[in-house]
Amino acid sequence: MLDNWLPFLIYAIFALIIPASMMWFSFVFATRAHKRTRWRELPFESGVSTGPPRVQRFTVSFYLTAMLFIVFDIEIVFLYPLAVILHQLAWFGFLEFLFFIAILVVAYVYVWRKGALDWQ
Amino acid sequence: MREPWWISLIKAGVIVNLIMLAFAYTTWLERKLLGRMQNRFGPNRAGPYGLLQPFADLIKLVRKESFFPVAARHPLYIAAPIISMFTALAAFAVIPFGAGWQIWHYHVNGEIANVSIALILIFALGSIGVYGAIIGGWASQSKFSLLGSMRTCAQLVSYEVSLALSVLGVVLMGQSLNLVDIVNKQGATIWFFIPQLAGLLVFFFAMIAETSRPPFDLPEADTELVAGYHTEYGGMRWGLFQTAEYINLITLSALAVTLFFAGWHGPYAPLGPLWFLLKVFIFVSVFIWIRASVPRLRYDQLMRFGWKILLPVATINAVVTALLVVWIS
Repeated sequence: MLDNWLPFLIYAIFALIIPASMMWFSFVFATRAHKRTRWRELPFESGVSTGPPRVQRFTVSFYLTAMLFIVFDIEIVFLYPLAVILHQLAWFGFLEFLFFIAILVVAYVYVWRKGALDWQ
Repeated sequence: MREPWWISLIKAGVIVNLIMLAFAYTTWLERKLLGRMQNRFGPNRAGPYGLLQPFADLIKLVRKESFFPVAARHPLYIAAPIISMFTALAAFAVIPFGAGWQIWHYHVNGEIANVSIALILIFALGSIGVYGAIIGGWASQSKFSLLGSMRTCAQLVSYEVSLALSVLGVVLMGQSLNLVDIVNKQGATIWFFIPQLAGLLVFFFAMIAETSRPPFDLPEADTELVAGYHTEYGGMRWGLFQTAEYINLITLSALAVTLFFAGWHGPYAPLGPLWFLLKVFIFVSVFIWIRASVPRLRYDQLMRFGWKILLPVATINAVVTALLVVWIS
């Protein structure tokens, strides 16, 4: 079974070499500037130099989305193995499946009613 | 079926370069089709029909001045595009493109790696790909890059949920996470897009959002905002992000073809890879067509669509499929 991963490993090395070499080319073949001043390298937007961000705080919506993602993505990871053998588990498996979804729907409805799914 | 390691090596080298070529000509196809749909010619200067345009672009990008924002965190700033593109390329490894061939007395598999958790592997690599955007935005140390990367991240993770849930119906029917098994099952029974039409639609929308293509191209939104997480990138380093996006498009199109349209199956079996290529080509063209026709969504519309429409539809689809699978078996 582990042998099946050897071709993937070989392919993954290729998949790493290509972007790495492209990155390397971008240094080797780059045109050199005649004159380099510090101002050229400052981040800017529409002519206003803003510099690096000082306080790194974000809208709470981003955190909320991340939490929702973790909850629902883990749910799906749990469903995958069940889905593979559901035809063997038959009705017992299906009832468990429904039970799992039902608990999730409660959480989903709660999140919806709380307004967490609306972007603010 | 085992194959000797050197066949895997040759095949990996050939496939990876074919994907790069496919990427190059996807950009050409996109510009040409968009041009035609907008009543202009598109690229037509470099070579016949502008066919050398991708190579001209490559040379231009590589020749651009190597350029860093002063505050950038250098190792991460450089690593981010590589992560993005590595995950995009690596995901293709498990997609079957042919039935496998007997060449002389060696067996050549129709896929690079036949692993039992192929589907989970693809989604896992997709999740790691999000790090490319986050790290790139953060390491640039610019306010706009950082905000852009948060925006991208929120969009990608929101739609990843629907993307993963929409294929649950296919897993239920294919009874495997192995893409080779799923394709063979479709060849033996029915192409899954017929019973899984709802799943296909959800997958399709989630896929547009995952590859941040219009109308879900909020990570870039080039006509409204600064480019987003790759604002501070230029030259080939920006090119790597762009390449990753197009390769993601190709890989996810190939995944959709594999899951819903029976991969390499077609009317005449020996032409397997050709059917596969044709289906992927049609998928990619549809994406370009959508880009030309539909205006961009607003961010709150994007989030509402993902969480309030796609997710419930995908769940209901999974439940109904589970019921039918148990009923029939």
